[in-house]
Amino acid sequence: MKKILALALALIMLLSVAALVHADEGVTITYMASQDWVQDAEMELAEKFTEKTGIKVDFQIIPSDQYTTLLMSKLNAGECADLFGSQAGQFDIVTQLNVEKNAVDLSGEAWASTVDPLAASETSVNGKLYGQPAQDVSAVWAVAYNKKVFEKLNLSVPTNYEEFKAVCEAIKADGMTPIYEAVSDGWHHQLWFCEMGVAIEHAEPGTAEKLNNNTMKFADSAAAKQLIEQIKEMADLGYWGDNYMANAYADAAKAIAEGECAMTVANQGFPTELNAAYPEFAAEDIGFFVMPLCDNQVLNMNPVGPTRFIYSGSDKIDAAKQYLAFLAEPENIQYQIEKVPKFNTLPFTTAKDAYSPEISAFYAAYPDHGTVYQTCVKYVNPQWMEIGKELVAVILGDQSAEDMLKNIDRNRADQAAAAQDPAWN
Amino acid sequence: MNKNRIYPTYFVFGALLLYVVLFVLPSVVGLGYSFTDWSVYSQEIHFIGLKNFATVFSADYNYLRMLENTFVFTLVTTLAKNVIGLALAVLLTRKVKLLNFHRAVMYLPCVLSALIVGMIFKSVLNPKIGMLNTFLRGVGLDFLASNWLTDSKIAFRSVMAVDIWKGMGYIMTILIAGIMSIPQTYYEAASIDGGNTWQCFRHITLPLLAPTLTVTTVLNVIYGLKVFDTVYSLTNGGPGFATEVLYTGVYKEFGLGRYAVGTTLSTIMTLVMLIVGYFMIKHMVKGDGQEI
Repeated sequence: MKKILALALALIMLLSVAALVHADEGVTITYMASQDWVQDAEMELAEKFTEKTGIKVDFQIIPSDQYTTLLMSKLNAGECADLFGSQAGQFDIVTQLNVEKNAVDLSGEAWASTVDPLAASETSVNGKLYGQPAQDVSAVWAVAYNKKVFEKLNLSVPTNYEEFKAVCEAIKADGMTPIYEAVSDGWHHQLWFCEMGVAIEHAEPGTAEKLNNNTMKFADSAAAKQLIEQIKEMADLGYWGDNYMANAYADAAKAIAEGECAMTVANQGFPTELNAAYPEFAAEDIGFFVMPLCDNQVLNMNPVGPTRFIYSGSDKIDAAKQYLAFLAEPENIQYQIEKVPKFNTLPFTTAKDAYSPEISAFYAAYPDHGTVYQTCVKYVNPQWMEIGKELVAVILGDQSAEDMLKNIDRNRADQAAAAQDPAWN
Repeated sequence: MNKNRIYPTYFVFGALLLYVVLFVLPSVVGLGYSFTDWSVYSQEIHFIGLKNFATVFSADYNYLRMLENTFVFTLVTTLAKNVIGLALAVLLTRKVKLLNFHRAVMYLPCVLSALIVGMIFKSVLNPKIGMLNTFLRGVGLDFLASNWLTDSKIAFRSVMAVDIWKGMGYIMTILIAGIMSIPQTYYEAASIDGGNTWQCFRHITLPLLAPTLTVTTVLNVIYGLKVFDTVYSLTNGGPGFATEVLYTGVYKEFGLGRYAVGTTLSTIMTLVMLIVGYFMIKHMVKGDGQEI
C-alpha cells in the first residue's frame, strides 16, 4: 500500500512539474538594471510590447549600490539576464564588460543607424554597435539651485570656489542646509570628483592623455588633490548637512521642494521631475551652474549613460532584439521624452528635444566644454563605487586625499596589468 | 538496532565521492588558482607564485583590515550570543508566564532572512528618521542618538549588535534543550544541601551544559568567519571601508573580475576554518572521552 501511495505521489509531482512547464508557453525576457535606470514610461512601453508581440518583459531592478558588483559577478559567472543595463564608455565596455564576448552585436538592427554618432561611438567596439542608449546623455551633472532662495538671500551664481563657499555660508546662516548630498546610494557623491575631471584638465592640460598613456598618475595632480580637499571641506563645514551619509538621492526633490536644502547636484531633467512630484514648485524656479570646485567654469559633458545590452548567453536573443527595436521606434522614443520628466531628449537622430529656455540658457552660459574623466580616462569608471568609498574614507578622516589618489592609481594599475595594457606592461 | 553489525566499506563511497567532488576538489582547485593571475581581463592564466598572497598581506591594500574585522566580528558575536543566549535560556527554563510565547519571540529573528533583517535595521538605524533615534530623542536622550551605520567609529559595532540580536534566539533554543536535559534531581539535591541559585548555576548548570556550549561556539565561530549577508545588507562594507569583512571582499573581487585575488582570500579563509575547526572538533571529541 505504501509503495502504491509513494508511486502515486511521485506521479502527481511529475505531472505538476510538467503542467507548470507547459503552462509557461509565452516567452519572457528578463532585464536586469540598476535602480533609477528603468523609467515608468519604459515599463508602460513594455506592456504595449507584450500586447503587440506576446513577449513579456520581467524587470529585475537592483539597488544602485549593489548593481555593478552583482552585474559583474553574473557576467563573470556566465549566467546573466537576457538584457542587462550598464554604463557605456568606449574603454569600459571592452575592459570591464568585455562586450565582444558578453553582448550581442546590434549593428545589423534597423535602429542602429539612428543612434546619435557620439553616443554610438561610446557603445561600439571595432565598428560594431553593442548597446542601445537608455537615457538622455545631453544633460550634464551640475549644481541645481532653488532660484527663490537665491533671490531671497540676494545671492548670485558663483563663478569660483570662494564665491561658492560664500553662497553656502549665507544659506546655512539662514537655517537651511546648503547642499543635499546622498552618500548612502554609493554612486552620487563621487560626481563632485569624477565630473570635475574637466577642472583638472583645465588646470593641468593633457592630464587625461598622460593618465591613459601611464606617463602620469592621479597622485601627481595637484588639481585632483585640491578637488578632494574641497569636497571634504564642504562636508566638514556642514554644507552637506548632518544626514548626508544616510541620505538617498531619490529624496533630493523632496528636500529641495520642502525647503530643507537649497542646492543639489542633478542633471537638467531635475526641474521637470521636481515639478511632476511637487506641482506647486515650478520647474522654472530651478537654475543650474557648473560645480565650481577648483574654480571650474567648464561644462562637464558626458556622451555616456545607462545603456541596454543583450546578453550573448541568452537563449532569447531574438525576443530581446524585438524589444530593443520596439523601444527605438520614433513614436516610442518621443513617448519616453514626453513621459520621463528628466529626459529632455534621447540620443537618437529621430528624437525631437524638449529643452526649456532656462536649460538652453544654462548650456549657453558655459561655452567651454570638456569630457568627464570617467569617460575619457581609462580604468576610472570600473572603480566608480570604489572611488565613492575612498571619498567617504577621506571625508570621515580615515585617510588623506593623497591616500585616495594613490589607491585610485593602484586600482587602475591592477586593472591595466590584468588587461595586459601595453602602457602598463 | 544491532550495534555490532558491520556495514561494507563501499557504503561510504557515494557520500565520499559527493564530498570530494563538491567540497575537496573545489578547495584544491581554488588553492591552485590562487597562485595564478586568473582574471576577467585576460583569456590566459599564468603562474605567479605567491604574488596574490603578498597582495593580500600587503599594507597597501585593505585586505588585512578585512581579516581583522572578520576575526573581531567572530569573537564578539560568538561571546555575546553565547552569554546572552545562556542568560535567556536560564530565564526561559523557569516558571514564567507565557513561557512558550517568550521563547517564540526571542527565537523569531533568526527565522528572518539576514537580508530582510538588514533592510529593516537600515531603516531603524537611520540617523534622521530611524525608529531608534526618534525614540531616543522622544524620551529626552538626544545625546545618545548617533549615526549608527554611517559613523565609521560605531558602524561595525552596530552591525555586530544587529547580528547578535538576530542570532541569540537560535543559541538560546539550543541551550534550552541542553538545560532541560539536566536531571532535576541534581538541583533538588543541591537545594537540600542549601545551594543558592548562583551556586546551582555555577556548579550544576554550567558544567553539564559545557558540551552544548561547545556546539554553539563552533556554530557561532563558523558563522562569524563566513559572515557576508548581514554586513552586505546593512552597510555594504561602508562607510568607506570601515565594515568590510573577508567575504564582502571576496564578492567585490569577483565582481571586479579579479578572480585570483578573490580565490586567494577564500583559500586563506578555508585554511583558517580548517585549523579552527580541527582544534574545536578535537576539543569536543576529547570531551566525549574519545580520541580523534
